[in-house]
Amino acid sequence: MMIWLIIGGMTLILFFNRYLFLEPRLPLRLNRGVREFLGFAVPGMLTAICGPIIFIKDHTLDLSLANPYLLAGLCAIGLMLWTRNVLLSVVLSVAVFYLFRWWL
Amino acid sequence: MPTLLPRVAFIRGAIACLPLTLACAPWGLLAGSTAIDAQLTPMQSQGLSLFVFAGAAQLVAIGMIKGGASALSILLTTLLLTSQHLLYAMHLRPLVSPMEPKWRLGLGFLLTDEFFALVSPYDQQTFNRWYALGVGLCMYVGWNLFTCLGVIVGKSIPGLDQLGLEFSIAATFIALITPIVRDKPTVICVAVSLLSVVLFSYWQWESAIVLAGLAGMAAGYLCKRAGAYFA
Repeated sequence: MMIWLIIGGMTLILFFNRYLFLEPRLPLRLNRGVREFLGFAVPGMLTAICGPIIFIKDHTLDLSLANPYLLAGLCAIGLMLWTRNVLLSVVLSVAVFYLFRWWL
Repeated sequence: MPTLLPRVAFIRGAIACLPLTLACAPWGLLAGSTAIDAQLTPMQSQGLSLFVFAGAAQLVAIGMIKGGASALSILLTTLLLTSQHLLYAMHLRPLVSPMEPKWRLGLGFLLTDEFFALVSPYDQQTFNRWYALGVGLCMYVGWNLFTCLGVIVGKSIPGLDQLGLEFSIAATFIALITPIVRDKPTVICVAVSLLSVVLFSYWQWESAIVLAGLAGMAAGYLCKRAGAYFA
């Protein structure tokens, strides 16, 4: 029963976080400053999601050049600049990642 | 894009989301198998994915349930851990809030990191609701199938979290970010976001991602404002 209460509570919290600012009756007018600020949401948030995946291993910081996540991540940037193709860059950099992991 | 047939746009959205959905397979499997491991019933384990539908929050909550944490602390952690959705919704507000309730509620429920990454590049002219629905449902169905598989096979997949499958998510986001880093404010935004997320998650802050994201966004915004002022 307790578990179902937790699941119900989590469902409500997630839906609140997701839906709140989509509600048109919420009196919120986005002025130019806010829109400019939110324009940085894609690079800001997506970078913040990538950071821990690449640099944090079991609560410790891995800044060495023998970190396959870092090397393959740099390859992903290079591939994207070169090919301009998202899918191709992802597939090749994942292949490079496993190559580094096996090799290092 | 806005004039595509609904069916065509829906399929395009689903196909665009397919690589990201597959990249989430290990977490879906883990969300199912660790829930069983934490003594949740199969219904409860699947219920988490069906109703909550948030990978990181599910895995953390399962860990906390197993560790005997209180319901209140689990809910508070969930609130902090998933607060980035507030920002996503604010960003998507001009596109989604004018729609009728069933679309608003539906797309709101399907709003995830991946949904935001794929849908936010569109503006009022280029946005197609069926494309967004395709993206969201592809993720939802995939996530629940992988959870179901995890519930069924339970703990019989050893070391799933050690395979490094999460790199495919980082690779996808890097590929999405790289082309938009074109001016100084965006470079500053990415740099500040990266530095602070590494620092905050090293300190094990629960809301590391959203705080670092906000710091990066603020830095980019201030840089842009300063540039306009001095120009």
